[in-house]
Amino acid sequence: MVVKWVLHWQPSAGAQVTSQTLVDLFRSIESMNGVRTGRWQITAAQHRPFTRDQAMAIDCAKELLGVAFSEFASKHYFVLRAERMVVEADSSIQAIMEKLQVYRNRLSMVFEGFQYQLGDFQLKAGRAVLSQAENLRGIVLEFAQVEYSPVSSIEKTRQMMQEFVDLWQEAISAQSMSGRISLLEPNFAEYALSDTYTWQHTALQYIFLFAYFLSQSQRA
Amino acid sequence: MECVVQGIIEAQHVEALDVLLQGLCEGQREAVKTHEICLKKSLETGTVASELHLLCDLSKRPQIWTVKHIGGAMRGTGAEQLPALVRNIVESKMSNNALRFFYAVGYKMDYELLRDGFAYRFQRAFPITVTVTSVCRLPKQHSIDEATPVTPNIQLVEVTAPATADNFSDVVPAISSFAEHLSPLVNLSKPGSFAGIVSTASTAAASLLSRSDRLEHRV
Repeated sequence: MVVKWVLHWQPSAGAQVTSQTLVDLFRSIESMNGVRTGRWQITAAQHRPFTRDQAMAIDCAKELLGVAFSEFASKHYFVLRAERMVVEADSSIQAIMEKLQVYRNRLSMVFEGFQYQLGDFQLKAGRAVLSQAENLRGIVLEFAQVEYSPVSSIEKTRQMMQEFVDLWQEAISAQSMSGRISLLEPNFAEYALSDTYTWQHTALQYIFLFAYFLSQSQRA
Repeated sequence: MECVVQGIIEAQHVEALDVLLQGLCEGQREAVKTHEICLKKSLETGTVASELHLLCDLSKRPQIWTVKHIGGAMRGTGAEQLPALVRNIVESKMSNNALRFFYAVGYKMDYELLRDGFAYRFQRAFPITVTVTSVCRLPKQHSIDEATPVTPNIQLVEVTAPATADNFSDVVPAISSFAEHLSPLVNLSKPGSFAGIVSTASTAAASLLSRSDRLEHRV
């Protein structure tokens, strides 16, 4: 599987992330001759233990995070951060968890936007919104080198990916946008994930971003 | 959903059952070697109406983990009269850290066993699976290599077919009629209401094996 980097928009001190920022980012991609190829959507959810009675609290993880990808709808991913686990399952696992009634969904975040083809790269750019509200929590940018001899090693592709980010950063600065694109790279090894990239790596990146956006809005 | 009937057969007649199934199923015989871990919540509250099983298919490389949630059987007078059990079931394949995941979300192992045997899958009006297995206990936790049959002389025969709320009333007779074909060797009925072994199985088995021997010699 190709290596994907999931980045987010880091506004400069004092600046806000708005829908206009996203529009400007779409323009920056189009200015690099990016061609829009479709839409995408990713949903992340935070679950907490279902405790009807405090005295009967089951000894279980205090937080269960889940993520699902519209482009790979047959699978569902769970992340337990304290336990350092990424679990992959069929999407029917959601029906099972529902029946078990151990956790209940507390928060959901939807990442959605447009997909672009840019030379050898495939880019996704979009917004992150809490499903109960409309206000923007953040802007997410994901890209992967998909054309000609795609490599699955994270380390082997690092330099090339960084060069692409630098190029994009230049295009953004040319539009005088006050901010930069930033990578939140999880420590994959800590979660028992190898250098060979998989959907589990993507799940972990989006969960980290979900948690990051949540913490940002709580601070604001 | 799934429809299920079960029965027991003496180990000495399993070979004859294999011959019978080969003839009926025209399909490939598959090895079954499944490590089954039954999970329960660390803190049980109230009656347990459902079961959670974690299955590791050891017959394939790499091993495939599946979690299976078995719901209660269909109720009502209509259901009581059905010759097969109809129950809700949801399955999901999982990555191989599935057991650690369920421990982390508040489950623990209730018991574990190894099912060792074979299965035939075939298609009539509906896909039907027949498994013939020896249920084995593990003397120490997860000690697959030291598994020993719980009942060395008896094996379990299960016939299952997936179903939906719309078609189970057609799937049940399909399973029943298939079960009739196996009646010379094994009595199949709803799980929980065992009909015992077939007393004339030895005769039927001898006949089947001699027929198959003659066929082999002809070939």
